[in-house]
Amino acid sequence: MTDTPSDKSIGRRDLLKTWGPAALAGAAITALGAGLSGRPGRHQRGSGEVAPTPPDWRIDPGTAGKVAIAGGAGPSANLGRALQVFGGIDAFINEGDRVAIKPNCAWDRTAAQAANTDPELIGELVRLSLAAGASSVVVLDNTCHDPARAFARSGIAEAARTAGGTVAHQNSTGTVNLDLGGAVLGEWEVLQPIAEADRLINVPVVKHHSLGRGTLGMKNWFGAIVGRRPSLHQRLDQVCADLGAAFRPTLTVIDATRVLTGGGPTGGSLDLVRKDDLLAVATDPLAADAWGATLLDFGPAELPYLAIAERLGIGTTDWRSVATTV
Amino acid sequence: MTLRPRARHYRILVQTLFLLSFMVLFFGLAVDRVPGWVASILLSLDPLTALGTALADWTIPAWTWIGLIILAATAVLGRFFCGWICPLGTLQQLMSWIAGPERRKRNKINRYRTWFSLKYVILTVILVWAALGADHAGWLDPIPLLHRAVAGGLRPLWFGGMTPGGWVAFGMLAAILLLSTWMPRFYCRAVCPLGALLGVTARVAPLRIRRTSDSACSGCTLCLMACQGADEPLENHRVSECHVCLNCLPSCAEDTLKFGLPVVQHSPEMPPLDVGRRRFLLTAVTTAAVAPVLRATGGGEARAADAIRPPGALDEEAFLARCITCGACSASCPTNVIVSDVGKTGIEGIFTPILNMRRGWCEPSCTRCGEVCPTEALAIVTSEAKQAVDGPAEVTIGTAFLDRGRCLPWAMATPCIVCEEMCPTSPKAIWLEPAELRARDGRTVMVQQPFVDPELCTGCGLCENRCPVGEQAAIRVSSVGETRDPRNRMLTGRRSG
Repeated sequence: MTDTPSDKSIGRRDLLKTWGPAALAGAAITALGAGLSGRPGRHQRGSGEVAPTPPDWRIDPGTAGKVAIAGGAGPSANLGRALQVFGGIDAFINEGDRVAIKPNCAWDRTAAQAANTDPELIGELVRLSLAAGASSVVVLDNTCHDPARAFARSGIAEAARTAGGTVAHQNSTGTVNLDLGGAVLGEWEVLQPIAEADRLINVPVVKHHSLGRGTLGMKNWFGAIVGRRPSLHQRLDQVCADLGAAFRPTLTVIDATRVLTGGGPTGGSLDLVRKDDLLAVATDPLAADAWGATLLDFGPAELPYLAIAERLGIGTTDWRSVATTV
Repeated sequence: MTLRPRARHYRILVQTLFLLSFMVLFFGLAVDRVPGWVASILLSLDPLTALGTALADWTIPAWTWIGLIILAATAVLGRFFCGWICPLGTLQQLMSWIAGPERRKRNKINRYRTWFSLKYVILTVILVWAALGADHAGWLDPIPLLHRAVAGGLRPLWFGGMTPGGWVAFGMLAAILLLSTWMPRFYCRAVCPLGALLGVTARVAPLRIRRTSDSACSGCTLCLMACQGADEPLENHRVSECHVCLNCLPSCAEDTLKFGLPVVQHSPEMPPLDVGRRRFLLTAVTTAAVAPVLRATGGGEARAADAIRPPGALDEEAFLARCITCGACSASCPTNVIVSDVGKTGIEGIFTPILNMRRGWCEPSCTRCGEVCPTEALAIVTSEAKQAVDGPAEVTIGTAFLDRGRCLPWAMATPCIVCEEMCPTSPKAIWLEPAELRARDGRTVMVQQPFVDPELCTGCGLCENRCPVGEQAAIRVSSVGETRDPRNRMLTGRRSG
């Protein structure tokens, strides 16, 4: 008697062999469908996820800020004298702090051309921060010209490294998506070392600017964010105020060692540079900008973003009421 | 067991060193501290670079004379450049070693074929074309080809900005490597114009693969299995095809092969190149007839307005007589603005460098592209000459023009000054006029409208790069006003050329 397949009853093992693979495939396909059906795509944000807001880098957010103005002794000595008003750098930097310093280092220009922050001032800030116990100090900017050239020609890279700090820019470091929470500025990519810093020091240079009339501390935060920055100029005043509200630095140091009085923010010709040998150290960034505006020969009222920033509670435009000259 | 070093091992060592130096030097192109001529020295080592510019522009520029040393050495040693130096040859050899034909099939695939003479036809076209004023050796010359493929096809994987020219350049490299899995060193054998030049030269070489005895060869074809050039050492050895890889020496079962001077009187006769006088003449005449047609497709004066050449570029005719399309300039550019062209500069301009301001801009103080250019098609300019500080620049690459229909303060009553803010000249070539506009809803809007001062504009394109108006900016650079071409001007009395 031959054993034809049709005669044979199907055993449990045979059943598994015949249908098992198909069942497994079916289960895998079902799992795939059940797992992914209707989910947001890889490039979409899920409904629960929100970008974090920037940290607050201030030492004492509750109290009103101050401004200390010093001049006539060169950047390093001016800085030391102005800091004494607050009790020295130790009042701001603790043992082990990661410090980020944001100069204006946007342009492939020399220090003498005054388009960037004075390198000696940056070097001194790095040195003081490390002496106060900072675990690391990074000097960084999102530059407008080629970053390698801007950092080299400005002298800022060399000054920062000589003093023991490191340098970072948009091509050398990553970004973090933060919700800046402004009227114009929503979620933006922010240079990672800034987002991760314990202490943040803003060191703008006082310059003429054809749209904002002047560029000072709040405009300097343009170099902290990465993205389609040129479109922000359509509402520059609101954007500057938004930036001032989003980035609350430990310290603002307004550099008026040299003031670029025209052709800004790039400058070029040395005829445009005025040597003031002044600086202001401030815990009120708004008062600091209001003081800086006076160096460009116009009052705070002529910089509309200052009024917006005051409404946002960033500080006071009446810089004289909080200023000490040393 | 100890490994007795053989000629082959020295060759592999030298090949590895040159392949590594190619890679290191390639990255050196973008590093300011590496002198430009050092970073591009492999391109100067290539004899076709010197010969091409010698015919086309009657000069052997910069360091390219080094290539003549290679050519002279080839007249003594044969095509050692192909077997020992050429990084594209090494890559193909590596490829066919990894994924090439099986060993037992190699004695068939490594036979000489008459169509290998195609490379001599290609060389003829290139040299005749160069003599007529256009140096296009770089399209197929392996050294520029490899540089261009890496600059246009691999570098963008890290630095962004892949372009059609880059795709084509990389596609050529991929095709060459894939073909070498079918036939070892297919490109060297059949296409390479540099190999052809060295092959013709090698025919006079006194040092070559020789048989120590005319009668001892048993015809076993073992020498063919390892042969790179398909030059048939077992029969009438084709010196013009031999890469001097020396693989055949230890393979000979009768031990009759050696590299050196003649030892027997009756050496077999060397076969001809398989390019007869008629074919040579036909090729030369056809090239001479077609060359002017190709120039009319867009080279010279007929190129597109937005085909901006890098700073220091010679005027178009001299430029096309010099540029070997190696892409060293684009690999050296810190802002990635230089791309390999396909389309804007005609057929003659294929792979020549132009600037795409949406990708980058010409950094005012940077002179790197000229420093690395092996043929000085981009002359070295000083940093000061490119920057308009306290007066017009000596070297400009074009002029920015406003498109008022797209400009926010001109067409949309919206404040914006980005182009003026970015303008790096001093005084700024872009200046602003305040204007009071009425918006659609009746509001009065104060804006500042930009204007361009063509006397001061250097064409650097930073304005175009940063313009917020999408992919077609509201301010765009066109080539008019470039200092390299006195005819491409709009203002009379502007700087003398």
